[in-house]
Amino acid sequence: MSVSYYPRSGDRVSPETPVALVQIRDLRKRFGATTALDGVSFDVDRGETLGLLGANGAGKSTLIKILAGLQPASSGDILIEGVIRQIDNPVQARDFGMVTVHQNIDDGVIFGMTVAENLLLDQFAVEAGNPFVTKRHIFREAEKILDELGIDLPLRSMVEDLPASGRQEVAIARALVKKPKLLVLDEPTSTLSAREAERLFDSVQSMQGRGISVLYVSHRMSEVERLCRRAVVLRNGRVVSTYNSPLDTKAIANSILGDLAISTKHEVRVGADIVFEGKGLRTASDSVPFDVQFRRGEVVGITGLVGAGKTEFLEQVFGVRPLISGQMTLEGNTYRPRDAAEALKLGVAMVPEERAMQSIFPTETLIKHCSIGRLDNFSRAGFMDRRGEHQFATEVIERFRVNCSGATAEIESLSGGNQQKLLVGRWLADPRSVLILDEPFRGIDIGARGGISAALREFSKNSAVVVSSSDPEEVIEVADRVLVMVEGRIVCEVVSNELTPEEFVEIMSARRKPGERWRIEEHENDDRRSLRGRDREPEA
Amino acid sequence: MTDVRCGVAIVNPKPDHRGKNALRLARAVVFKYGLLAVLLMMIFSFSYMQPFFRTFTNAMFILEAAAIVAVIGLGCTISMTVGGFDLSVGASMSLSVMVASAAMVEFNLDGPVAILLGVLAGVVVGLLNTALIVRARIPDLVATLASMFLVNGLTLIGVSGQSVAEGMLVNGEQATGVFAPIFKWLGSGSFFNVPASVIVSGLVFIVVYVLLNLTRWGRAFYAVGGNPIAAAAVGIRVQKYRALAYIISGSLAAIAGLLLAARSNRGDVGVGDAYLLQAVSAALVGFAVLGANKANAFGTLIGAVFVATLINGLTMFNFPYYAQNVVQGALLVVALLMSYTLGPKRR
Repeated sequence: MSVSYYPRSGDRVSPETPVALVQIRDLRKRFGATTALDGVSFDVDRGETLGLLGANGAGKSTLIKILAGLQPASSGDILIEGVIRQIDNPVQARDFGMVTVHQNIDDGVIFGMTVAENLLLDQFAVEAGNPFVTKRHIFREAEKILDELGIDLPLRSMVEDLPASGRQEVAIARALVKKPKLLVLDEPTSTLSAREAERLFDSVQSMQGRGISVLYVSHRMSEVERLCRRAVVLRNGRVVSTYNSPLDTKAIANSILGDLAISTKHEVRVGADIVFEGKGLRTASDSVPFDVQFRRGEVVGITGLVGAGKTEFLEQVFGVRPLISGQMTLEGNTYRPRDAAEALKLGVAMVPEERAMQSIFPTETLIKHCSIGRLDNFSRAGFMDRRGEHQFATEVIERFRVNCSGATAEIESLSGGNQQKLLVGRWLADPRSVLILDEPFRGIDIGARGGISAALREFSKNSAVVVSSSDPEEVIEVADRVLVMVEGRIVCEVVSNELTPEEFVEIMSARRKPGERWRIEEHENDDRRSLRGRDREPEA
Repeated sequence: MTDVRCGVAIVNPKPDHRGKNALRLARAVVFKYGLLAVLLMMIFSFSYMQPFFRTFTNAMFILEAAAIVAVIGLGCTISMTVGGFDLSVGASMSLSVMVASAAMVEFNLDGPVAILLGVLAGVVVGLLNTALIVRARIPDLVATLASMFLVNGLTLIGVSGQSVAEGMLVNGEQATGVFAPIFKWLGSGSFFNVPASVIVSGLVFIVVYVLLNLTRWGRAFYAVGGNPIAAAAVGIRVQKYRALAYIISGSLAAIAGLLLAARSNRGDVGVGDAYLLQAVSAALVGFAVLGANKANAFGTLIGAVFVATLINGLTMFNFPYYAQNVVQGALLVVALLMSYTLGPKRR
């Protein structure tokens, strides 16, 4: 439906006709020079589960933040039950009946508190009524909530003792306490194993019975296909298409990637000599040990669910996490770095997962970010060579087409994609044995992703590049060989173009048994701990 | 200048935003040069109203008053660059006062030896802080609070709660040691009419400024304070730099203690306490100088000189001494407001 005039906030638009629960009209959002949302319009009907699909950087998270009241839109309207609403903060979003469960589950719960206390958090926030809270009161109230919602949770457990799915259930239950009309779930399965995902799907399906609309945001087609009768695809900040049941998954996949689907094809190379070798490595003291090799001349992809142990493994290689067990060799020599400084000296560099937390020095310039890891190159007798570092930063900026106002700009004035180009680019100036990138494409646009991928493939001619991502598509796009991690170990390795992203997801979430089409890494010293949800014996 | 340009470049150059842009530019200018402008205006108006204010002698009075605060403040600055906070600088100062005085008066040691022992005392406090903060991983503020009390207490026990002065009684006998000539020079000597303490603090400033701004170690200090995880990930040994920062901080406090002991020619108990807060406030005022928005050597120097100038000028107009704290507090509030409200928004 179209609106013929521009109503003010609070105006009721066409009160006679029944309208969709939420109508999004020409929503736009700009960050400086980049456009995150470029005129998005769609409706969410009452009681429907609508899928919202799109690749990383398509604008999904921006849209969610606007709906959750975390960011204002640049222009456009959000109508809730036919009334234009201005959402200035999360409390307002909640008052309008929209509650969001964010991707990072641990943002939705508070550690150090029991499940019951977490469920009642929103009551604590209300500054009215009886200011005294007793334990008895908390548990009684929490039990009431669970009864009402018809779910079962261990109220007396500490939140941090629950598995990921349990914490997510707490977060969802907390959302439902607020009696929402629309529940927004942002990438809800990204930390869940197959069985945990099943529980989530059940609870999403139960929302329809409660008359709650769900906006199910994901980049995994199989989930949307299963849960939603309608799906909207975002690409480059625009709604490129809307699909109705039965969902045509192939068309949706093409629609998500657009032209990119073709441009990412690359020749698969077999690496040369072994640069790095790990034997009997573990990602946790009780996980199954595994072996791994990285070769010169290849990009190795590592994929697996969030929490599968990718970061834990890679951080041990980089020396920022103590080695749990096993041996490592680098260029044929025993390798056991005490810290990142030693790893870097020996030729191993890493771009960490959380850009803002682990790579960015707030308020510092691009120059300083480029030179900080190479201070040896830019100092003589301790004194900084300012011209040299300025020149180096300029080179990185030009080579990777970093969009900025100049080398002296502060890093936080750049978009995520441009920050990442700079942070990756600064490591590519020196020869290295191994370059590790943990989730390098998170939250960056497709253009930046393509540029980084190309640079990495070029750099890998003389070294081993390791790219880890929980999104198999991102890994396939750049890698020659892909390792899949499940529950803390590498379960299989595949030539990157042999499997589709969907097949990878099935292995990652242990929904599919590793079959004949790929080599299975089994070890003599396996402690044969049974994995949940599947038979671990490989098919003969 | 470049930073101001960058700040404006992000703004959309739409015509209806022109007023907003002008406002932003004004804010950026005030943020960067505001405090220095106020300092200059103050100097000019005091000079205009009171001719003695603009004499060289008075300028040296001001710098002499700022010297000790500046030296400790520069130590605090270094601990702040690594994201820490050293509450024990006052205690380091007291300890070095007592160690150096006792070394000369009670133990008849030479001036240079006494100076060395005094500085060493500061290093020891730095090592104690390092042990607590880097080894035991106690948060900076809490750890240095503990070491402040501990060191102050040990200092008091060491001198039995008495001041150390020439001719004092030690075990019933008069001590024969005297303050060494070099201390006399530090306290009241001068070089081309510039007081010795001003020269020493000037040298300390130059060393700290060069260290923080021109060397790779300075980069590492700021990187550790800016984001320790990111610093470790680019190969900076974070704990090493944090340890170094506390050792330098302790040593500079000790040097300030030596200047104070030389000035008063005696070791008074607990003299350092009053300097802790002044030094911290000088370093914090420094955040607002030239829009640095972080601990920096030049800013700390200006912070120390600012307070000294203000109090010197006001004293000439019979401003009561007991109102000095109000002036210092007001300055700190203004400087913090500038740093936190006019500066670029931080998350």
